[in-house]
Amino acid sequence: MKNNNLSVLLKGLIKENPVFVLILGTCPTLATTTNVAGAFGMGIAALAVLVCSNILISLLRKIIPDSVRIPCYIVVIAGFVTIVTMVVHAFFPALYEMLGVYLPLITVNCIILGRAEMFAGKNTVGKSALDGIGMGLGFTLALLVMSTIREVLGAASFAGIAIPFLEPYKIEFLTKAPGGMLVYGCLIALVYVITKGKAPKKHSFSCATCPSAANCRVGCAEAPAEAPSAETEKGGV
Amino acid sequence: MKKSVLSTVALVGICAVMAILLALTNFITAPIIEKNQEAAANQALLEVMPNGTGFEKVEFDAATLPKTITDVYKEKSGGYVFKLKTAGYDSGFIIMCGVNADGTVSGAVCLEANETLGKEKTYGNEFVGKNMAGVEATDTISGATKTTTAYKNAIKDSLNAAIILGGGTVDLRTDEEILQDNLNAALPAGDGKFTKLFIVEVIDGIDAVYTADNGAGYVYVIGDEFFPVKTGETSSNETVAAAHAILIASSVEDIDLSAYEGLPKRLVSAKKTATGNYVLEVEGAGFGIMNDDEYIHSSGEYIKVRVSITPDGKIIDTLTVYQAESEGIGDACAKESFYGQFDGKTESNFREIDAISGATYTTNGYLKAIENAFAALKILKGGNE
Repeated sequence: MKNNNLSVLLKGLIKENPVFVLILGTCPTLATTTNVAGAFGMGIAALAVLVCSNILISLLRKIIPDSVRIPCYIVVIAGFVTIVTMVVHAFFPALYEMLGVYLPLITVNCIILGRAEMFAGKNTVGKSALDGIGMGLGFTLALLVMSTIREVLGAASFAGIAIPFLEPYKIEFLTKAPGGMLVYGCLIALVYVITKGKAPKKHSFSCATCPSAANCRVGCAEAPAEAPSAETEKGGV
Repeated sequence: MKKSVLSTVALVGICAVMAILLALTNFITAPIIEKNQEAAANQALLEVMPNGTGFEKVEFDAATLPKTITDVYKEKSGGYVFKLKTAGYDSGFIIMCGVNADGTVSGAVCLEANETLGKEKTYGNEFVGKNMAGVEATDTISGATKTTTAYKNAIKDSLNAAIILGGGTVDLRTDEEILQDNLNAALPAGDGKFTKLFIVEVIDGIDAVYTADNGAGYVYVIGDEFFPVKTGETSSNETVAAAHAILIASSVEDIDLSAYEGLPKRLVSAKKTATGNYVLEVEGAGFGIMNDDEYIHSSGEYIKVRVSITPDGKIIDTLTVYQAESEGIGDACAKESFYGQFDGKTESNFREIDAISGATYTTNGYLKAIENAFAALKILKGGNE
């Protein structure tokens, strides 16, 4: 059982990393990874929302009627995002300025809704909390790796501290949106290589766990026997 | 039915729980956020008033202060910090200026500009510790005259505003408004509408003459004094009376230009007064015209100038009849403060005027027009009939 809990916690880091394997939360990932400090702040803020919403949703999972579960999740998530926004605004004004609109936009970060739907709505409070921590750390880790590459190589600095000897060689392209896409793609490929054969198959997070699965059963009944290709099995914003 | 009621109750319940959580968080964070924002605002205020101990935003009557002022903060020891937005050609500069209780500038910074600032960025530092006279004497930065003039005017507005808020009075009227007020006071029958008279006769000792648009009479300006002369009457002032007699008696006659050969191409029309003076309308190439006489290179237009000259070649009066120069740059030449410099000049010294920096082409257009006038005068006077 303990072992099981540990795997719930750890799977978010690499095996089911929300960014690199589940391809969720792409928009904040690209937007906030231009510098390490912002990426770290974003990761921690999302982690906080993820853990809180996972716990509350798991607590309420038997009370929430199936037909209104999505609105309920959204209310819970939006509420926690607003709380986090207010806390960050009050105690970390610099971070608040840096993240700007992406902080309130955590509401529509599909990692959080995705975990509420895929995990917290079906599992115990303890496991949901661990899942939230694991996924949150996975998101933070992904942002940190990506922002480190983009900031160090693109802006010749780390968390705002200049690295003078890299200054003449910096690739400014990496700090721009297309550079972010490029780094993102390379990291997805890298993680795919690392987890080859161990990455989750479609059935574990595809139709069956899709928020719309209840209304849309198309394709689920005849789940493909063969492992689908990497391109078609992933999706999300 | 039961299911939908349950769903509604559940959703409302969750909303209520979240609302309570939000209210609690807000209860804790709202005062801290407000305090932070105040501190951030004070930071900007402290930048222009480093010795300030506490600031308080003041409500003010916009009509009583210079138009550029948008925000006023009062400092505890009696100074003020003003937030200004410049208007006119260099509009949109947001400037913060501190004024000490003794009426000197404590600091000035440009918070926002609609262009990239170079040397002007630290221009505000030059005003620190200066009073109005010191500010007036501060040079603008060459190459950034427009920007730094707007900056300087904003500083002057701040000093004036501090005087007004301190209970003093400042004349905030523009030169035009002062002139209009003086004309109205001199000749109330003019109903507030006056036109500057283009002078074609030599009248000594008079600086300017205005006529009331409704025909009520004339106002003569000598220095700072305004002398009204109602239609059909005369003035008790001898100088004014003499000048008025000359102007009333004056008459002009058109000259047929086709009777002359070799007149400058850019002479538009010519008139002659009974006293022998010439009134010429001449043109000079404005900005965008590369060659004066032959080939119009691009989209520029000619500047049309009316000039009255005595037969012995002395300019009596000058007026811009038409110009389409760039707004805020070339059109600065169309002001009387520029073309009025030609009054009293002769062919040998009309080029000795203060050019307008940044408007070289337009200035040259005016010089060319005057040159055409003198060239025309020689031929018209020569009697080539």
